[in-house]
Amino acid sequence: MQGIGNTRFLALIRKEFSQIRRDRQVTLSLIVPPVLMVLLFGSVLNPTVSNLQLGVVDYSRTPESRELIATLSESESFEVAGNYLSTGQLGDEISHGNLEAGVVIPYEFGRDLQRGKPATVQFLLNAMDANTARIAQAYAENVIATYNSGLGNSGLNAVFKPIAAAGARHRSQVLLFPAFLFNPGLVASWFVVTGVFGMLCILNASIVSAAAMVKEREAGTFEQLMMSPAGTSSIIVAKIVPLFLLLCVMVVSAVALMRLVFHVPVRGGYLLVMLGAALCVLCGIGIGTFVATFTKTAAQAQLASFFVNPPLSTLSGALTPVQALPAWLRPLTNVNPIYHFGIIARGSMLRGSGLDTLWPHFLALLAFALVLVSLSVWRFRKQLS
Amino acid sequence: MRRILVQACKELAQLVRDRLALAMTLVLPVMIVFLVGTSFKLTVSGLPIVVQDLDGSTASRGLIDAFRASITLHVVAWPVEKSPEDALQQGALAVLIIPVHFGRDILRGSDTPVQLLVDASDSNTARLMSGYAGGIVRAYNAANTPALQPVQASIRLWFNPGLSDKKYLGPGVFVLALSMFTPLLAALAMAKEGQRGTIQQVYVSSIPAHEYLLGNILAFMVVGAAECVPLLTLLFTYFGVRFAGDPLPFLVATVLYVFCVGSFGVMVGVAIPNQVGAISVVALGGYLLVFLLSGLLFPIANIPSGIRWISNFVWGKYYIQVVRDAFLQGGGWASTWREILTIGGFGSLFYLTAWGSMRRMQLKG
Repeated sequence: MQGIGNTRFLALIRKEFSQIRRDRQVTLSLIVPPVLMVLLFGSVLNPTVSNLQLGVVDYSRTPESRELIATLSESESFEVAGNYLSTGQLGDEISHGNLEAGVVIPYEFGRDLQRGKPATVQFLLNAMDANTARIAQAYAENVIATYNSGLGNSGLNAVFKPIAAAGARHRSQVLLFPAFLFNPGLVASWFVVTGVFGMLCILNASIVSAAAMVKEREAGTFEQLMMSPAGTSSIIVAKIVPLFLLLCVMVVSAVALMRLVFHVPVRGGYLLVMLGAALCVLCGIGIGTFVATFTKTAAQAQLASFFVNPPLSTLSGALTPVQALPAWLRPLTNVNPIYHFGIIARGSMLRGSGLDTLWPHFLALLAFALVLVSLSVWRFRKQLS
Repeated sequence: MRRILVQACKELAQLVRDRLALAMTLVLPVMIVFLVGTSFKLTVSGLPIVVQDLDGSTASRGLIDAFRASITLHVVAWPVEKSPEDALQQGALAVLIIPVHFGRDILRGSDTPVQLLVDASDSNTARLMSGYAGGIVRAYNAANTPALQPVQASIRLWFNPGLSDKKYLGPGVFVLALSMFTPLLAALAMAKEGQRGTIQQVYVSSIPAHEYLLGNILAFMVVGAAECVPLLTLLFTYFGVRFAGDPLPFLVATVLYVFCVGSFGVMVGVAIPNQVGAISVVALGGYLLVFLLSGLLFPIANIPSGIRWISNFVWGKYYIQVVRDAFLQGGGWASTWREILTIGGFGSLFYLTAWGSMRRMQLKG
């Protein structure tokens, strides 16, 4: 009995493979999306703030103010884009979007510094993009701090010392030394690309599997399959196996792209990431198969994916950090396979985490995959009997 | 003229009968604007930072209190025996290590180093974290040192002084939703006609190509306008956006943009008489291009120059500039007339392309 069962199952799998080979759309969706998504998303989605276009209004025109402007242009954060004659002109340029920031050095700047009085420099930031504005704020304060410590060299510090408390004690400063681990170059693409990897596995797998299931239904050949001696479960699993294998090939090509183009490290070893990706693909297939039980045509299946994919992609921490989600939405990420795989991918590839820290997420992926596939098989069986 | 209106009414009637399409028009855009607008922030609060105090003096506790007082950071104490890297593996975003001689050095008056290990897998959050920590340490130093800093920065934030992410994201996602669903429905309707063969009846009828197309485009402009209503309501209530000046450029631009995306959808549907194919092309052109290259989420200036030139051909980019100007900057016609003309130009281009391909098929009657 076992021998007959095996050849039947293998025959079904062979039939699925030959059907897929003849379907150009499926092969296209296995090659184009990984390349497109990984390359495009990785290079385009870059929140890094640097070389902010800075306009300068220098009312002071003293060596001290020129020194400040030099400090500003030497920093990587700002790029002096032009000198303007008035604050109004500067403001107009910022309003029209030609400048991202402006600095106004008051007339008394040099004079106050010589006399030992503190001086205030005004920064104008285009704060429409809150993230850029926050980082630009930190940059501006940093540059001023650098300038302040540089004043010691020019002897102006001596002028400020008498203002300190009359006690010979020098007050100490705490010096903060930040060290960026796992991504010392602060490459933005690593975060995006590891997140897109999960999106790719789930979204592509669900679209391809939904299309495969629905096509059988549209053509009306499901009834023919039902009349064959094969059981419903083996029909559906036989459909899943070739898709799973082809999607694993897609996974390998995605990892290759990430390594070659973006130089993402694989510190935790390839095995762990591939295992997680395989589970993720299985989840995606489960989602696609489940969606296919609700739709009757290929176009409907594609449209249904527009209902399913946006919540999955946005509530996942794939492109933006999970900590940015409002607190009431965050529990939803726990039922999102893209979220779990994002943690697996980033933990294993970037931080070198092992199974000991990542096992809850592997378990979650496995659970989702099993539940979704069983649910779909059950629904199909009910509909076809 | 009358035939255009009749064609539009017929198209709308067919749309209303399709329940899935109706759900897509009214429900899906709102859901996406809400989801994406809420979750696509880059700013995190409650960043988990672990502090390892190897000193345990009053001074070190004072520094830790300074960190605890910040609302953006969430401080967790870490036992001295455990390695700081373990904390990073377990989900902390940064570890602050206060060395053994911290208190002693402070009393002695020498500068003391404090190390901050930051998990830089997310480079943007790492920069934010390092910026916050630097600010806290500077404030701590300033509080302890009565000496005045020579130069101070006074920072003014324009257009969004509250640094609200929603005010920036809301208009952007509004444009994304408009760019996706109106052309999708238009392409589907046209592709369905082509697939079913009913387009042949149009060819042999006496309606000229331009009236047929304009009728369809008009119908989907109505659909787009209907979408705008719940979306704008969401923008004004949940996202807290207000008009920052003259609303007229925004209204004109919206009408032109709905014409532009409607024409895009009709053009794709006429060119690809296959529903599945048409959906893919609209998803690619309408959604992906607008999502990635229109400056919706991340600044266009950050896109590598090899790809940046493509964004000039993305119609969503110009509409986003008008929408942001209307809701945040308030520049009025002077800042936006160029963008509005470009949107109209794109719409005409799509319409002419669709008309060109339809005209060839029509029987001269």
